[in-house]
Amino acid sequence: MAEPKSKYDRQLRIWGEQGQEALEKASICLLNCGPTGSETLKNLVLGGIGSITVIDGSKVEEGDMGNNFMVDLQSIAQSKAKCVCAFLQELNDSVRAKFVEESPEALIDTNPAFFQQFTLVIATQLLENSILKLDKICRQYNIMLIVARSYGLTGLVRISIKEHDVVDTKPDHFLDDLRLNNPWPELKQFAESIDLYTTDPVVHKHTPYVVILVKIVEEWASAHGGKFPSTREEKREFKELLKSKMISLDEDNYKEAMEASFKVSLPCGISPQLHQIVNDSSVEIDSSSYNFWVLVAALKEFIENEGGGEPPLEGSIPDMTSLTEYYISLQKIYQSKADADFLAIEQHVKGILKRIGRDPDTILKTTIKNFCKNARKLMVCRYRLIEDEFNSPILTEVQKYLTDEDYSVAVGFYVLLRAVDRFTSNYNRFPGLFDGEMDEDTSRLKTIAVGILNDMGCNGSSLSEDLISEMCRYGGAELHTVAAYIGGIASQEAIKLITKQFIPLTGTFIFNGIDHKSQLLFL
Amino acid sequence: MIRLFKVKEKQREAAENANGRAPVKKQSAGELRLHKDISELNLPKSTTISFPNGKDDLMNFEVSIRPDEGYYLGGTFLFTFQVSPIYPHEAPKVKCKTKVYHPNIDLEGNVCLNILREDWKPVLNINTIIYGLHHLFTQPNHEDPLNHDAAAVLRDNPKMFEVNVRRAMAGGYVGQTYFPRCM
Amino acid sequence: MDNHNSVSGENRWRDLDKLLVRPGNIVGPNFEPGPQLRDDLQAYAKVLVVGAGGLGCELLKDLALSGFRNLEVIDMDRIEVSNLNRQFLFRLQDVGKPKAEVAAMRVMERVSGVNIVPHFCRIEDKNIEFYGDFNIIALGLDSIEARSYINSVACSFLEYDSDDKPCEETIKPMVDGGTEGFKGHARVILPGITPCFECTIWLFPPQVKFPLCTLAETPRTAAHCIEYAHLIKWNEVHGGKSFDADDPEHMQWVYSEALKRAELFGISGVTYSLTQGVVKNIIPAIASTNAIISAACALEALKIATGFSKSLSNYLTYNGAEGLHTKVTEFWKDNDCLVCGPGVLIEVDSTTSLQKFIDLLREHPTLPISKPSMVHRGKNLYMQAPPILEEMTRSNLQLPLFDLMGRIPKDVIHVTGTVTLNDRKTSALRKLRIVFKGNVDGVADMDMAGGA
Repeated sequence: MAEPKSKYDRQLRIWGEQGQEALEKASICLLNCGPTGSETLKNLVLGGIGSITVIDGSKVEEGDMGNNFMVDLQSIAQSKAKCVCAFLQELNDSVRAKFVEESPEALIDTNPAFFQQFTLVIATQLLENSILKLDKICRQYNIMLIVARSYGLTGLVRISIKEHDVVDTKPDHFLDDLRLNNPWPELKQFAESIDLYTTDPVVHKHTPYVVILVKIVEEWASAHGGKFPSTREEKREFKELLKSKMISLDEDNYKEAMEASFKVSLPCGISPQLHQIVNDSSVEIDSSSYNFWVLVAALKEFIENEGGGEPPLEGSIPDMTSLTEYYISLQKIYQSKADADFLAIEQHVKGILKRIGRDPDTILKTTIKNFCKNARKLMVCRYRLIEDEFNSPILTEVQKYLTDEDYSVAVGFYVLLRAVDRFTSNYNRFPGLFDGEMDEDTSRLKTIAVGILNDMGCNGSSLSEDLISEMCRYGGAELHTVAAYIGGIASQEAIKLITKQFIPLTGTFIFNGIDHKSQLLFL
Repeated sequence: MIRLFKVKEKQREAAENANGRAPVKKQSAGELRLHKDISELNLPKSTTISFPNGKDDLMNFEVSIRPDEGYYLGGTFLFTFQVSPIYPHEAPKVKCKTKVYHPNIDLEGNVCLNILREDWKPVLNINTIIYGLHHLFTQPNHEDPLNHDAAAVLRDNPKMFEVNVRRAMAGGYVGQTYFPRCM
Repeated sequence: MDNHNSVSGENRWRDLDKLLVRPGNIVGPNFEPGPQLRDDLQAYAKVLVVGAGGLGCELLKDLALSGFRNLEVIDMDRIEVSNLNRQFLFRLQDVGKPKAEVAAMRVMERVSGVNIVPHFCRIEDKNIEFYGDFNIIALGLDSIEARSYINSVACSFLEYDSDDKPCEETIKPMVDGGTEGFKGHARVILPGITPCFECTIWLFPPQVKFPLCTLAETPRTAAHCIEYAHLIKWNEVHGGKSFDADDPEHMQWVYSEALKRAELFGISGVTYSLTQGVVKNIIPAIASTNAIISAACALEALKIATGFSKSLSNYLTYNGAEGLHTKVTEFWKDNDCLVCGPGVLIEVDSTTSLQKFIDLLREHPTLPISKPSMVHRGKNLYMQAPPILEEMTRSNLQLPLFDLMGRIPKDVIHVTGTVTLNDRKTSALRKLRIVFKGNVDGVADMDMAGGA
């Protein structure tokens, strides 16, 4: 029957064997297995996560039948952690599923070292007090933390890690690394070997645009005192020059050259983002530095020396209209330059490792190669401690959000979600839990929310009355659809963090289930 | 809308006893657009169109082209068109049913015409395609070959190409390949 | 197991009830909070889920846990191993079984009280009355064709009054989701109010197709080699036998041919997995994105039914690849849309011949359209061109339009012809709402058509 891997085929096409391997090695701890937690884990179990540990001290109640798919009638009065864990296990028997019947709050208070064993902790439906404690514990042990909350028609997802470095960011649109306006000798030589004025129409319409642009931009530069087209007018003229070289209207290679002509005007050297990374203080390497920063330090040395201001060449080229042999030759020229750059970086890596007293072979060739290929796309994500965000949010941002129509609901929900937690620790229940106390709860919640805003240094009156009463109307309800949405995001972020691919969400995601105008808040 | 749902439920119960409407065929937006294309066809004189499944199936039809000039003068070439329900979002599938010695049509009937694949756009129509096909016979080109041998002969020896085309159309061998008569 | 005992207490829906029973300030129009609302939702709302794949499985679960009780699901596919990473209602031992049946059974086992009727067939196999039965249609599909089909079915129920306003009771709401990798969209379609699928078909980028001569002459990539083996070499070698992408032997053949070709040209990168991907146009899919998009769709379905909150208006895009971005775009409907637009209301005497009708169209005050070709539900009534079709339809000119349209008192026809726009003659395709007067066999529901 099926090969073991074919059930993961559709996701291997996204994150590859390496990503899958990382997932299969990861161990996840889930706090609270209501619908938000259950749905989060469901998506990870299906994807083949290594192990899950479900922590929940509660028993299954009748109300769970109305929003949690991972329990059924037979589960009533049994341990929720046990029931959810059993149903999750059904989804994928290669996952190791465990449960602990204990309240997450108690575990956080009494046994912080417990969390040390996990790759990632996902805290769902946890109140502020416990989150702040858990966040500090995870920081201390360097464990990744995702906080997920569903509440009525709102909710939030927030990641907390000291630092998350990504090499394989897989950006959607990223300019190819073609070096059209500063070709290295081999590329230049190859371009020179091709006659743009060939009389063979087949060759003429199958000369790759890379060659056309390298040659014509040189022609342009020599006629313009060594400068590349830069003004709008010059760029237009450059396109006209390209057009004049066509011998018939259906030459796709020249059309491609005109479309790509802006690439000859791109500035040389590294992007501002990369500049920031190579100048980060972590580049000052010592024996305890992460491999990532060793590689960045090597990259910096390369840029300052062999690279002549450029990062290592990526080495791949996009498909383009071309004779097969021209295309294959071009591929080889780009690939061998990339290989040479890799060897240079490898030497820097070894040198640095030796300098800090580590084994020079400790970083694998494949790792260095992958780093070189993605050197232009590196990403460093850093997250504040949640407590720091609460105590000193970025005031200018808060004020901007409060007055921006697109953000006012999201920031309102942000404040109200915090207010709900305070209300709950004061009164030991959610605001609006009982129909009879709606009015009172609304004004109590308002007082708390206004207080939070005032503490931030903002005007409390900017909060909409309708949103406050809406929050009370929710009364702590956890709707299945909202939980599935929030759980979907939490699991997606978990996958990105564990595979170290793609770019995780930064800031706090605030779900707006009213009109779906959800927002990211950077506080 | 729950109130409407309730009303509808009552209507449904009532309707179950009455005569339902006759089952009706749904028409896709693609069929409608094709209907427009077909009703506005303005074909070259040398071209005829036919609908093997009758007047109400426009999605499958045949076009025969009799070039009025060039190498292929006197031949008749039959093409089948298969139009998808999401036309014109997607180009029709066109195949040449007549075996032909042609640089841009292979022996299986695949046609190398840019607007049938990479350059298809929803603003184009059936008329454009038929004119494009017609053009392939008056102006075969050796730069985008699908039949490599025919293209090479056209490029290197147009006289020989002409002889080969005549031989193929009259029914006979060109190299190892037999072509049934199509004149 | 005794799953058919529904939970006795009212407490089961404690979370959902907070939102359905209590009044609120940020709610949809016609929201009537109260316990009755939840009971009505369970009793009267009937939802069809189209597709039991990645989105469909999620939708069934989400709807069942949102208080919907009457669900049906339609899917023609059987379960495959590669579904198991996201279609969470299926297990390894289910491989080969119909998706719709297994999905319905699993959700009913878990969620007591919900009733799900599975339909293991093509969407085209069901007649229009089948679709007419549902209050909301939820689409979990991966093809433009299928979306377009369901859209035209749903829009066919839509009727307009004499002021060209959509009649509320004829609106068949749809929620539609789609995903690809870490990206997806969710939308709400209220035919006649928000754009239908055809109004915004341009949102779907056309599929990339390589030129055949590139495949034959100048291949450069692994995909070129694969498409050569698949589109050209297969026919050359196998003559009449058609290629079946689900036959592993066929796929293996294409793979090895592609590999040979790649070696011949010095091209790298042909793998079996890539071969499958290119030939079957496989779209990568994961559980999390499907969960997010389906949840948004199901939440909107609940809002349409109950009005307990405002609605998504009307298109949500989600991108989780680079950080996390969601965006709501309010698209506008195309008033001239042939599928959901009102068209032009025309009253005709039931004795009018087609020829006379054509004359009427030429003189019509708002239309004037000359040289019309007409089609009624796939039946060509008259074609101006090409000559062969003109000849085949000419005899209809003398027959009454009412008879030609199957003696239905009111229905839609589509007309292509010449109109004058800014003093220039141009061709146009128009939708006409025909209402017959006079003796129409005593059918008395003329009030629905308006203007009669």
